[in-house]
Amino acid sequence: MALPQSLRVSVTPPELELVASQQLVEIVPLISMEKTAFISGAYGPLRPPNKAKVPLWMAVNLKLKKKCHIIAPPWLNADYLQDRLTEETSQPAFSKLPFRFTEIAKVILDVASDDLESPDKIRSLLKDLREARQAKSREGLKTLDHSELSLPNLCSMEINEIRPYFVQSMSIFTQLVRNPAPDPLREA
Amino acid sequence: MDWDAQYELLKAGKAIPQAGPSYTTRNESNIDDDDMRPVLPGRDPGDEPERRRTNLILDEEETVATPLERLTRHWMNERHAPDILPAQEDLLMNLLDHLRRQSEAVQLLREDPSTSEEEHMRIMLVQTEIERVKFIVRSYVRTRLFKIEKYARFITTTPEVQTRLTAAELDHASRHAKITDQHFYVSVLQSLPEKQSHLDDTPLFVPPMITEPDKTRPVFVHALKQCPRIRLPDGATLEMEKGHISLMPYSVVEQLVARGEVELI
Repeated sequence: MALPQSLRVSVTPPELELVASQQLVEIVPLISMEKTAFISGAYGPLRPPNKAKVPLWMAVNLKLKKKCHIIAPPWLNADYLQDRLTEETSQPAFSKLPFRFTEIAKVILDVASDDLESPDKIRSLLKDLREARQAKSREGLKTLDHSELSLPNLCSMEINEIRPYFVQSMSIFTQLVRNPAPDPLREA
Repeated sequence: MDWDAQYELLKAGKAIPQAGPSYTTRNESNIDDDDMRPVLPGRDPGDEPERRRTNLILDEEETVATPLERLTRHWMNERHAPDILPAQEDLLMNLLDHLRRQSEAVQLLREDPSTSEEEHMRIMLVQTEIERVKFIVRSYVRTRLFKIEKYARFITTTPEVQTRLTAAELDHASRHAKITDQHFYVSVLQSLPEKQSHLDDTPLFVPPMITEPDKTRPVFVHALKQCPRIRLPDGATLEMEKGHISLMPYSVVEQLVARGEVELI
C-alpha cells in the first residue's frame, strides 16, 4: 500500500524528529567551511572558534564526526528546566516550553551530552516534566466534549502521544450527539 | 503515479521535468528561483555572495517561509487531514528541480579529483540534506496516493474534490476506480440481483459502499495567525489567536486550513 498501516493514524516520533531537526542551533565549529547554499537556505561560513547557526541535523552530523560542539539552546539547562518543573507542579496550566522541546532535547542529549552541563540532571528533569505534563493531559480528558478542546502550550510530541486516544474519544462524542438517524427498521 | 515516476527519473537525472499544466506558472516562479540557485560555493558566479546575503536577511526575518518549510507544512497537514487537500504541484516541481540541481552539483564535485578534504565534508552535508528532502517529498506524495486510492470511487463522482487534484492524480483515481469496479463486478456483483449489483446502490439497512472522507474526525489545530471567528459544533464561536492550539472536528477548520491560516499538528 502507498502508506503503511502504522503511518495512517498519526505521524511517528522519528518523523517529528525529522521536522524538528530543521530548527537552527548554535555550534562552535572545529573545521572551517565556506558559506554553502542548501535547499533550506544558506549556512555558514564556519570559522573556528566563532559560533555559527546551522540546522540541528547538520550540527548532529558534524558532532558525530567530532567536528563541532553544540551550544545548548537557552532552555536546555538544569536551572531553566527546574523553574519550569516548579511551575508545572504548582500551577494548573501547562508551563510554556518550546513547541518541539522534546525532540530537540532528545537529539542533543543523545549525540552531544558532553557539551551540556550536568546532562543527567537535565535528563531526570525532562522526565519529571514529562510525567507532570502527562498527568495534566489525562486530567484534560475529563473536559473533552464533541466540539472543541483548547490545549495551550501543549507540545508537538505530547500532542502526538495523546492523539489516538483523544481523537477516538471525540469521534465517539460526535457520534453520540449527532442527530439520531431515522431508524430504517421502523420506517420499513 | 506520474509524480513518483517523474521523481525517479529526475533522481536518476534522466529527464528534464516535463511541461505539465503548470508550466507557465512554474516559469514565472523560476524568476526569483534564480536567486536561490543552489550552486556549491567555489563554483559561484561573481555576484552570488551579494545576492545570497539579501536572501539570508530575508530568511532571518522570516517574512516568507522557504519552499521546504512550506512543503513540510503541507506534508503534515496532508498526514493529519481526513480529506484530500489541494495539490501543491508548483511547489513540488520547484523542490524537485532544486533537488536535481543539488544532486548534479554534488555529482560534478565528486567526479572532480581535485576536490579537497574540506569540500568532501560539504558534499556529505549537502547529500544528507538531499536525502532529508527526498524523504519528505516521498512521504507527501505517498500520503496523497493513499488517500486517492482509498477515495477513488468518491473522487470520480465528486467534481469538487477533482479540483484539488493534479491531472495525473485524477487520471490515477479514475483508473483505480475503474479497475476495482470491474473486479468487484466480475467477482461478486454480477451474481447478485439487479437491484444490488452496483456499488452506488443505496439499499435499505446497509451503509453506503463508497468510502468518503470523514470530515467530522477531530484534528489538532495550531493557529498561524489571528483567525476569523469560527462556529463550533455545539453552537459556540471561537476566535483563535496566533499560536492557539486546539482539538476540533476537521469540518470546522476546513476553510482555515485551505487558506493557510492554521496548520494541523
